[in-house]
Amino acid sequence: MANPLRLYLTCIRNTLEAAMCLQNFPCQEVERHNKPEVELKTSPELLLNPVTICRNEAEKCLIETSINSLRISLKVKQADELENILTKKFLRFLSMRAEAFQVLRRKPVQGYDISFLITNYHCEEMQKQKLIDFIVQFMEDIDKEISELKLSVNTRGRLVATEFLKQFV
Amino acid sequence: MACFERASPALREILLKIHTAERPLEIEHHVHEFGSVHYHVQSSASNQPYTYLSVSTPLLSQGLPMSSDLPQQTLEMVKGICPDVVEIVEPAKEGYRLTLKLNFARIPHSKVSTKMIRDISSVQAVILSSELKEILRNVDSQEVSRGLYKPIKLIYHPREPFFVIKQPAKITAVFPMRFKETEDVIIATAFFQELMDVGSSGACTKAPHCIWSAIPPPELRGEPIQDLSTNCGFVSFDITSRHVEGKKLDKTVWNLLNFYAFVKYHVKSTRGFIQRRMRMCLDRLVQPLQTAEIEEDQPVKKKAKGCRRLRKWISSSKLKILKRKYDFTNKIKRIRSRIKIHGFSRFRRRWLKMPKFSPVTRYIKLD
Repeated sequence: MANPLRLYLTCIRNTLEAAMCLQNFPCQEVERHNKPEVELKTSPELLLNPVTICRNEAEKCLIETSINSLRISLKVKQADELENILTKKFLRFLSMRAEAFQVLRRKPVQGYDISFLITNYHCEEMQKQKLIDFIVQFMEDIDKEISELKLSVNTRGRLVATEFLKQFV
Repeated sequence: MACFERASPALREILLKIHTAERPLEIEHHVHEFGSVHYHVQSSASNQPYTYLSVSTPLLSQGLPMSSDLPQQTLEMVKGICPDVVEIVEPAKEGYRLTLKLNFARIPHSKVSTKMIRDISSVQAVILSSELKEILRNVDSQEVSRGLYKPIKLIYHPREPFFVIKQPAKITAVFPMRFKETEDVIIATAFFQELMDVGSSGACTKAPHCIWSAIPPPELRGEPIQDLSTNCGFVSFDITSRHVEGKKLDKTVWNLLNFYAFVKYHVKSTRGFIQRRMRMCLDRLVQPLQTAEIEEDQPVKKKAKGCRRLRKWISSSKLKILKRKYDFTNKIKRIRSRIKIHGFSRFRRRWLKMPKFSPVTRYIKLD
């Protein structure tokens, strides 16, 4: 892993370890309701300061925490138009299958490519360290997958172009 | 519209059926392909062995109405398909550009027949490519207006025209590319850049020189704006005499006519490829989360031990139980008692009978 990426991921990991201290907290406004406060943002005393970690202008991570929930939004690097459409397609594909990921949000936060919502219930069912490992691993895998997709598309194009031009020879 | 395969599959099947039929057939088929090509096949038992094939297809050149006759060079090329079998009927049937009279008696019943029928089924491809062949045949011709190389617009699909520009020592074919979706534009642009790279590399030096540009080439200045407005640029091929000599002419013409279809097919299959890759990596991405779940303690399943002798009886199979019962019964019968006890037989039936057990191997204690 390159050094700048390692530093970026380490910073995200440390921030998540500090932020993922969630507990059950029923809704203060509606009786017998239990909602993730980070989504509603109706009670400022239940919210912590959001943290934005930027690797560069194109890549950043926003971590918003509340008493019973945590939202992580990621912006993935897109160097050119092809990476742009591949990222959009791939992350939209994953978001449509959010139930398989449990902690994935169906729609990303505005300005970002993908978002996760972790609640206190997830922390009760799953181990905190492994959740953080999953988020960090997900970020690495997404970058790797998009790079491989782009390479595959270009390789296919080259092979097809070679076959087309060979027909003239 | 041209397609990768020259011969029409439906037409080939009909002609093969007529050729291989044991008895004369009464057939009349109308076949429509690509929205604008229409075949009419007519065969009657009274008119054997002749079959009439009428073809209606739009021509490449702009401005020719559907009812106009085919150019002479096109008719010459059609006659050359299978001269013994094919005869052009003039005038053509009403509503069609060309009517052919096919003599199936002259087609031998061997492997050659399949090739001949395939050649006849590709009559539409011959008509479509004849005009472009005539243009490319004269690639070295110096008959060009003084300094003015007027582009010739060829249309085989109303929304997909392309231009052929005659220049000294070469002919340039320019394809304005348009796609409906932005994703297709980006995938196609990546493909055209690879096409340029491969064309200029050592592997394909003999192939036509290929250029892609986002703006119209200077040779197309003066053409109508609706023909020059594109979202994916212009692809140009420089055809020289090397690419049109001998049998290469046919290949070159067919490749140029099918360039649009080729690119669209590549874009479509690339999108399918991307979708497949995404599905494959979905399971891999979910895997770490599945191991993150906290595992609860599993309930301990206890096996009841019970009496050893009873376990032995229970674990026996039905056959063994029956055999054991038979042996025991016989043993009891063989015991001869000197003193006959009144009522012993009733006692024996009641108390010395073998119990029936179901062959249950084990059971689990419930909480």
